Amino acid sequence: MIKLTHVSKSFDGGRSYAVKDLSFQVRKGETLVLLGSSGCGKTTTLKMINRLIEPSRGTVEVDGKDVMGRNPVELRRQIGYVFQGIGLFPHMTVEQNVEIVPRLLGWSSRSRRERMQELLNLVGLPAKSFAQRFPDELSGGQQQRIGVARALAANPDYLLMDEPFGALDALTREALQQELLTLKKQLKKTIVFVTHDLHEALLLGDRIAILHEGHLEQIGTKKDILEAPATQFVRDLFTTREPGTFILRDT
Amino acid sequence: MRLDALFGYIVERLPELWLRTGEHLMLTGCSTLAAMSIGIPVGILLSRTTWLRGPVMGVIGILQTIPSLAMLVFLLALLNKIGVLPALIALTVYALLPIARNTLTGLEEVSAEVMEAAEGIGMKEYQQLMMVRIPLAASVIVAGIRTAAVVGVGIATLSAFIGAGGLGQFINRGLALANTKLILLGAVPAALLALVVDFSIGAFEWGLRPQRKKDKKGSVQSLMRPLAFMLPVALILIGSAAYFTKPGWIFKSETRFETSHRIIRLATKNFTEQLILGEMMAQLIEAKTDLKVQRRFNLGGTMICHGALINGEIDLYAEYTGTGLTAILKHPVIADPEKALRHVTKVYHERFNLQWLKPFGFNNTYAITVRAADAEKYSWNTISDLQASAQRLRAGFTAEFAERPDGYPGLRQTYNLQFGEVRDFDPSLMYEAVAKKEVDVICAFATDGRIASYHLKPLKDDRQFFPPYHAAPVIREDILKKYPKIGDVLELLGGIIDDATMQRLNFEVDAKQRKTAKVVEEFLRAKEIL
Repeated sequence: MIKLTHVSKSFDGGRSYAVKDLSFQVRKGETLVLLGSSGCGKTTTLKMINRLIEPSRGTVEVDGKDVMGRNPVELRRQIGYVFQGIGLFPHMTVEQNVEIVPRLLGWSSRSRRERMQELLNLVGLPAKSFAQRFPDELSGGQQQRIGVARALAANPDYLLMDEPFGALDALTREALQQELLTLKKQLKKTIVFVTHDLHEALLLGDRIAILHEGHLEQIGTKKDILEAPATQFVRDLFTTREPGTFILRDT
Repeated sequence: MRLDALFGYIVERLPELWLRTGEHLMLTGCSTLAAMSIGIPVGILLSRTTWLRGPVMGVIGILQTIPSLAMLVFLLALLNKIGVLPALIALTVYALLPIARNTLTGLEEVSAEVMEAAEGIGMKEYQQLMMVRIPLAASVIVAGIRTAAVVGVGIATLSAFIGAGGLGQFINRGLALANTKLILLGAVPAALLALVVDFSIGAFEWGLRPQRKKDKKGSVQSLMRPLAFMLPVALILIGSAAYFTKPGWIFKSETRFETSHRIIRLATKNFTEQLILGEMMAQLIEAKTDLKVQRRFNLGGTMICHGALINGEIDLYAEYTGTGLTAILKHPVIADPEKALRHVTKVYHERFNLQWLKPFGFNNTYAITVRAADAEKYSWNTISDLQASAQRLRAGFTAEFAERPDGYPGLRQTYNLQFGEVRDFDPSLMYEAVAKKEVDVICAFATDGRIASYHLKPLKDDRQFFPPYHAAPVIREDILKKYPKIGDVLELLGGIIDDATMQRLNFEVDAKQRKTAKVVEEFLRAKEIL
């Protein structure tokens, strides 16, 4: 379980807040989507979970322990992270990229290899033809699949995903969203997923947390949000028709 | 020159070329390695401490702008040592900037996104550095090393000036003897060496690049890769091989690694007459004693030779009484040759524990010299005759003469002469400059063979400004005590060379381009000393 209690973050010593007094929980096994437009504090919130960013006030707990009391390196190795810009290491092969966290954790080369093959099959890129390639020899969609495989490599209980499909074309994005849905059922991970795409949020999220200018507007299931929007901002969200993003009424 | 003759010329010097190339590679290789072991950590440190960046890169940058010759001479003075050490330090200093700067740039250029991923998946700081940042910066770092090494090959040619060996030795010697072939024998291999070094480090960089799936196993490329990797290593191995397997049968008289003091280290300054005198003393010592002579010829100017002699880096060289008196002791001119010799002998013994031996006989004084045609046209016979037209004349002096108290400064005072323009020349180029009317007046050496061959006329020193410059061996007293035989042997050379003879010997080497050793041997045999 991940639990945020009155978390605030300021990058300029308190003049302005990227995240203001944020409290919510992510339950075991669920997928929580942090939804909001850019600059709303969703990525900052995500990064506070694995201590890439440290909160100015409030506490972030993972498995009931305050992250500030934990060794950040060990914490991060237990939490899979899929990055916005993919962030594969360009000088390492697919195999080396996927094996990196197990390697840091000191797994034997044999168990690393088995895990790598298993994961590459899982994301649909068989080791036989992909393991020895370099990231720049893969398409964007393939790269992000490897990004997901890398995040899953050490079999973490938690997975943080920061707009992982944002940079992909619509067709690839949809395919990957479907794959993630399947993966979710298979793996039963606790996932925090950041996006600005309402459609994606409704598709993937068990619950959705809507952020606006650093604070939480509403958190709840798809049903809660659609039937009982808590604020005017949330209500407006579903009536605005900006092509490609907030298109709920049509679906 | 005919092609086969040129070929013969090169073949004859092949063993020495091999040795000098080895020395050159060692100088460049060691200094580059040293600069890497300093520059890369400095670059890494600077990438992490922003506030240090300006000051440190500034200092390294300033060091870089010091002219190489000035740096060598400065280190010489600072370390009180000639030879390999100051050369290595200078080369290392020059290699530092490209390596440190490229390391810094390379590390900085790694994308923030990739570094965030490295941190986000749980790498410790040093893991981020070693597993991600440095591997991604490697090609830029290696490019810096490549620049440093190639520039190093060029600068290393100057280290011969302070007795560190290398291909520059041919260039130096060629300059001293005005021998273009010798200059090229150093310059061409140095240029080729720069290309080879550039290529081999380039290949190393190529080998570092990740191997793509496209380059299939067993393809030429994948076979070449490990080879490319080995290339710089091979180069260093070849260098050390050449350096340590010095072909003794060629340099029978030069034995670097014998530490037992059965070796006499004999130096010369950087002009023909000095080389002849040096070779003469060397041949005689080798013939008449069981000592070996290490020839550290072309060491540089007076101060370098004298400094090396005092420090015990060399044992012996030929000095001129007038130079000892005015340039080294800074005493006033003594016109009487006998008195001058007695004076330097006494003071050298008291102050430096150095012994002047019997002079060779000739007086190689400076001679203010003009073209014979001009002298006739304007009826110039004495230096005083120049007074009226001095303002219109261009003078070409050696750098030493331009500054020494017994040179231009004193001359100006004594004769009230102020030349319109003064240019510094290498001693070997001065004569050609006046003959080709680049300048009108030079400070020739009275015994130089080129005075006759270029149709020049030395003017009479009517106010007796120049002190006598009688050449004599100057030797460390501890060596003389240890091997008194050297004193007896060198005594044989006392008074046997008059001005005309010295001019002739210089002419043989300078104008006829004959080998110094051959000319010396003939002379000694003719005198029945050998």
